[in-house]
Amino acid sequence: MSSETILKTSQLTKCFGNLIAVKNVDLEIQRGEIIGLIGPNGAGKTTFFNLITGLEIPDKGKILFKNHDITFMSPHRICKLGMSRTFQVTRSFGEMSVEDAIRVGAYNRRGEKEVQKKVDWVIEFFDLSDIRRSKCNDLGLASLRQVEVARAVATEPDLLLLDEAGAGLTGAELFKLMAALKKLNQETRITLCVVEHVMPMVMGLCERIFVLDAGELIASGNPDKVCNNQRVIEAYLGGGISLETGFTG
Amino acid sequence: MNVFKKTNIGKLLIIFLIIFALFIPFILGSNQYQVLLATTVLLYGVMATSWNIIGGLAGQLDFAAFAYLGLGAYTSGTLLIRFNLTPWIGMILGGVIAAGFALLIGIPLFRFRIKEVWYALTTSALVEILKVSFNMWEEVGGPVERCLPYFSGSLLHMRFTSYIPYYYMMFAMLIIALFLNQRIASSKLGYYLKALGEDESAAEVLGVDTQTTKLKALLCYSFLIGMTGGIYANMYGYIHPSFFNGQETTKIAILGIVGGRGITYGPLLAALLLVGAQEYLRASLGGEFSGLYLLIYAIILIIVVLFKPRGIATFVQDAYKKIITGEVKNKDVV
Repeated sequence: MSSETILKTSQLTKCFGNLIAVKNVDLEIQRGEIIGLIGPNGAGKTTFFNLITGLEIPDKGKILFKNHDITFMSPHRICKLGMSRTFQVTRSFGEMSVEDAIRVGAYNRRGEKEVQKKVDWVIEFFDLSDIRRSKCNDLGLASLRQVEVARAVATEPDLLLLDEAGAGLTGAELFKLMAALKKLNQETRITLCVVEHVMPMVMGLCERIFVLDAGELIASGNPDKVCNNQRVIEAYLGGGISLETGFTG
Repeated sequence: MNVFKKTNIGKLLIIFLIIFALFIPFILGSNQYQVLLATTVLLYGVMATSWNIIGGLAGQLDFAAFAYLGLGAYTSGTLLIRFNLTPWIGMILGGVIAAGFALLIGIPLFRFRIKEVWYALTTSALVEILKVSFNMWEEVGGPVERCLPYFSGSLLHMRFTSYIPYYYMMFAMLIIALFLNQRIASSKLGYYLKALGEDESAAEVLGVDTQTTKLKALLCYSFLIGMTGGIYANMYGYIHPSFFNGQETTKIAILGIVGGRGITYGPLLAALLLVGAQEYLRASLGGEFSGLYLLIYAIILIIVVLFKPRGIATFVQDAYKKIITGEVKNKDVV
């Protein structure tokens, strides 16, 4: 696999008042990888996502996406370049149907003539045909999360950021989502970056993991290596607990 | 399923309604006052339908409808008085001026992400500011009402001795507004507007340029109302700062919300029912119980908000679905 850097941040820093949410983070993501971003609550994971998707402007540092400087770019232009995301707290288009919500994403790369085809493909891929005409407001959490991933995928991103897409899902639902994401990664070479607390999802999905704590990048590497990193264990769970017992599917 | 049957019923209904609307002036023909009332109902229908683009689809609580109406009326009226320019061109320029003004307001408003109540406050202030400004602007008449020339009627100058032509012009505007609404709602712009109306950040990360998209909606809305303003000025035969009506401007938003935000025919339906009832009540009860029409109007409003918070149009939608499919929905609940 050719290793082409798709995202590179250097010295990325964001403060809210006295709180340093993200501090001097340098990381690189290669095209086609599945990256996990973990860390305890308040570690700055969501802020990091907000920074690279343009929802917040960093105080310091630089973000390169596909060799474009996107540090101060607005979210919709970043999306046009090929990056999309989901949100930790689902932000659905409540009064729109599932199909329409996905259509909004699909318009990113498709004109009026092709958009329906793309929508159908995404609905097929995520197995949403049963609920395609339902309003998002009528959906349960599991479906909502799937729709949110689906509409982000419909923008045809090269890099997809998932902010706790697995939170609140049952084992079976999680497995389904993971399978879909893995398939997507294999079929379209999409790069995935997932923020996750649900450990089986991280361990089962990710090839490389970054660990944030109090805004700082404290470890990176393959899952096994990160799991056994003493500093990670201490920061993340307190001493002496194995990460693998964090969840029972 | 019954795709043919479904579209046929809808189309037949629309054709029937159009024909019915075309015949209304003949039914009321002998009574000019009632034709004026019918035209007024249509005026609110046009304005509420136009409002639906920015307020319904895009979810921006806009209160500036009468600002654009006034601008359109003043543009068309002043051009006729001063330069003898036919209002047929004047009304289009009225739309352009209104849209241009909306652009000036909209760019900073959307650039600095003014929304929700702040957007509502800004836009309703706009009407008052314009009213005061036009009161002081002597060149276009100041506080004195300026009558439009050609009292005895002139087709070229859009002046008629009967209200019936104005009725048809307003009706044509309504068709244009409805058509534009429908086209927008089923296009990329419409989907983008709906999405940003629900959640701006979520729309942004899906590639929606919320600033430009909102601006486009604002331009369509203000242009339509600006053009309507041209008809408005000629219908009443004068221009006056009271056209920037701070009270009535709220009503447009109310009609849009009560009718059903984002549903093409919703605001029109609300205008027909509420303004129709209001004007009828005012005409029939006005002498004996002045102000009673307001009470009844308010009661209708409360009933609608209580029982159909998503708008009167949802009632029609449900009924329509029942007729078409012969069954209640609820199938799609997860």
